[in-house]
Amino acid sequence: MTELSININGEHIKADVEPRLSLADFIRDRQRLTGTHLGCEHGVCGACTVLMNGEPVRSCITFAAVADGSEITTIEGFDQDEPMAQLRQAFHENHALQCGYCTPGMLVAARDIVTRLPDADEDRVRLELAGNLCRCTGYVGIVKAILSVLEQRRI
Amino acid sequence: MPDGATVQGIGASVLRKEDKRFLDGHGRYVADIVRPRMLEAAIVRSPTAHAEKLSVTKPDLEQQRVFTAEDMLSDGVKPIHVISKYPGHKPSDYPHLAIGKLRFVGEAVAVCLADTRAAAEDLATQTKISFDPLPAIVDMVDAAESPPALVHEQWGDNVILDSLFEEKASNLDRATVSVTRTFRMNRQAVNPLEGAAVLAEWDAREERLVVHSSSQIPHILKNALCECLGLRQNQVHVIAPDVGGGFGYKCVLIPEEIFIPWVAMQVKQPVRWIQDRREHLIAAANAREHHYSVTLHADTDGNFIGVEADIIVDSGAYSVYPHSNILESTMAGRTLHGPYKFSAYKVRSRAVATNKPPIVPYRGVARPGICFAMELAIDAMARKLGCEPYDLRMQNLVPSDAMPYKTITGGEFDSGDYQEALRRAGTLIDLKAVRSRQRQDEADGRLIGVGFGCYIEMTALQTSAAARAGLAAIPGYEQAHIRLTPDGGLEIGVGVQNHGQGMETTLAQVACERFGMDIAMVAIRHGDTATSPYSTGTYASRSMIMAGGAIARTCDVLGVQIRRIGAHLLQCEFDDTSIRDACVIGPSSAVTFAEIARVWHRNPEELPADVDPAGVEVTSGFRPSPDNSPFSYATHACVVRIDPELGHVELLDYVISEDCGTIVNPMIVDGQIIGGALQGVGTALYEESCYDADGQPLSSTFADYMMPGSTHLPNLRVDHLVTPSPLTEYGVKGLGEGGAIPPPAAIANAINDALRGYGVEVVETPVTPRRILEAIAGSKT
Repeated sequence: MTELSININGEHIKADVEPRLSLADFIRDRQRLTGTHLGCEHGVCGACTVLMNGEPVRSCITFAAVADGSEITTIEGFDQDEPMAQLRQAFHENHALQCGYCTPGMLVAARDIVTRLPDADEDRVRLELAGNLCRCTGYVGIVKAILSVLEQRRI
Repeated sequence: MPDGATVQGIGASVLRKEDKRFLDGHGRYVADIVRPRMLEAAIVRSPTAHAEKLSVTKPDLEQQRVFTAEDMLSDGVKPIHVISKYPGHKPSDYPHLAIGKLRFVGEAVAVCLADTRAAAEDLATQTKISFDPLPAIVDMVDAAESPPALVHEQWGDNVILDSLFEEKASNLDRATVSVTRTFRMNRQAVNPLEGAAVLAEWDAREERLVVHSSSQIPHILKNALCECLGLRQNQVHVIAPDVGGGFGYKCVLIPEEIFIPWVAMQVKQPVRWIQDRREHLIAAANAREHHYSVTLHADTDGNFIGVEADIIVDSGAYSVYPHSNILESTMAGRTLHGPYKFSAYKVRSRAVATNKPPIVPYRGVARPGICFAMELAIDAMARKLGCEPYDLRMQNLVPSDAMPYKTITGGEFDSGDYQEALRRAGTLIDLKAVRSRQRQDEADGRLIGVGFGCYIEMTALQTSAAARAGLAAIPGYEQAHIRLTPDGGLEIGVGVQNHGQGMETTLAQVACERFGMDIAMVAIRHGDTATSPYSTGTYASRSMIMAGGAIARTCDVLGVQIRRIGAHLLQCEFDDTSIRDACVIGPSSAVTFAEIARVWHRNPEELPADVDPAGVEVTSGFRPSPDNSPFSYATHACVVRIDPELGHVELLDYVISEDCGTIVNPMIVDGQIIGGALQGVGTALYEESCYDADGQPLSSTFADYMMPGSTHLPNLRVDHLVTPSPLTEYGVKGLGEGGAIPPPAAIANAINDALRGYGVEVVETPVTPRRILEAIAGSKT
């Protein structure tokens, strides 16, 4: 067992974890924050994306033990976050989700894009999104939604 | 007909009611549900494609936590057994856990239970299996013609069903020009982002089995559970909560949906199994695989005379519930004609068994394959005749003045203007401009090509057609249950299942259209056998037609009952009332649904003694009359740019001109079409479940199986024709699947157009850079 001290969505948590436990399983099964989804568990689909110290990581291939001492933000932790509020509204208005399974990871990745790359154009947005798979939408609505938030934030 | 002007009714781009929970991270999929004392399951799976004399050794100290086929057999569990009514269909059992033989890599052998999935997987590694290997049947053509072994020994060969569809074959003599081609569409995995998932427990209070499953067909799953486990219908409750995509993979029963509930009943604890991606890519690599030898016959003017074909469908090892293992082969055999006129037809179609996972009806079901074969044959014919492929299509499409049109194989196209869809796609893609660009060489040496793909899709399979095939699920009247709630809102129960299509919104729009009420007051309940009418579920692009139709018709019945109470409250004659804006309107005044609901539910003392006891709650239904299916159709057109050195394909432009009849929600319709089209692009260019010669799957991660990503499809343009179907409420036609059908055809035709200077063609999906370079290398020029 490894002792873990971690901050998830503003809450300080101490726990003993098996070294092999992934951050995603810790978040989902131990903390019961099920908004973070598992799509492939080998770091390709991006459904499990969370912020670790402000940067997006794939929680499925990050060991919980590695996250010791870090600040994690999951989809449930953005209720007071302006860019996320803009993205949620834009995803809604642009039909950027269908089954909803990729959506939490997609939103976390999108938040990273709109805050880190304020001048991103469509090609750049599509390139940045290449680490998140969506099987339903064809990405068109997702790209439109992100571009609309980038536009809003430039005004 | 709706005028489309209503804000929330038919024709309005209402934003989705279901979005909020997903955006907030509050969607509830099976893997998000836990139950007290729940155990997690891991499955021991076959490491070999074909073997006999299977033997399983449970770990010494954990005998009670591991279950095998022997345990299920001794408990009397029945296997899945689906045969169709087609004469000659060879029967086979689909064991839940393998018995004696192993028939594909990934086949379930044993179930291991532990407190966590990790511990259950530890247990799985301690469970030992042994077997005697047999030669694997990997290639569908070999399986039919020169099998190295037999998947099911009792058959004597590997041909599940050999069908001949022959009509007016003597007319073939009239042909003067013929082209023959061999095509192959390779195997894929469906890959909804949420894989399969099952959570089962015996509810001692309710005295019934409660099964949560990521399913498109909860009522059919309930039937299967009763049949296999010997339970009464009132002992099973199936819930499909939020489902993370299905696309057909989840409209068939999988063995886990039977053996996980059975195991939960043995241990008397809740048991959950969540399919991981590796399991999905291996054990659920079960879509598409078709082989075609096609000869297209025409006269010298390019009028199609007939088509001859020999089709082989790789149906994998077993027959799935309820759609069987011959759905694809028979559909391919019967409808290879597509949207074209033919006066002769001779198509042999064989479903064959191989040592691969059983085939399932993935988005488009057979039609991506037949569209690919027919449309590529048409372009080959155009090259032979020296004419423009666009013109050849225009000349041979069924014209609108022939509607309704009886096809050569006995189908009936209900409505539409197929030529206009092609015309619009040709204009949108600007065929003339592409042809003129092609006359100059590209500065960078790359090659430009343009391609078209036309298709028809029979949507919402109907009763007599399903009954003829003898499927285990035959749709009849689709029903809706509607209750006027005490506050004047509607709770609507439907047996279809929403897993991304936006039906919590679009089905509500139907009620809004009928009653003129605020959509916030309409709740759609689905995916739960306890709260919805029986239904065969969501598949075959049927839900809007069938459940939408059922809601419309049930609203009409409920409307009469509401008007009766309204007439009493307004003190007027029933015949003088009507419904508008969620009110019953009388000659001089009106009463709201809310007021009527209050009186019925909460102040019944205000009603006369002879009030209709049916009240404000109704179940009724809909099916098309006559018993035919509406046909959707479209033309896709695209422009590609190919690097002849690297074989890389770039989609420069992509347009779709489609007709799904009356559009309920334009935003959602476009979303379905675009999403389907990207899956079709995956079929065309990227996705393949590869196997080695021993039947070992080689595409077991997303690093080996290429899913289309955000950079793979341009912002395609979608154009709509609207020809209401005469068969359905509001004239809707199904549209969930169509987007995925023609991209392989349109894209491969564009690639072949680009390669025309080399005199070579690509004939196999996905058209990878390797296949393009191999084609170019085969060039004589």
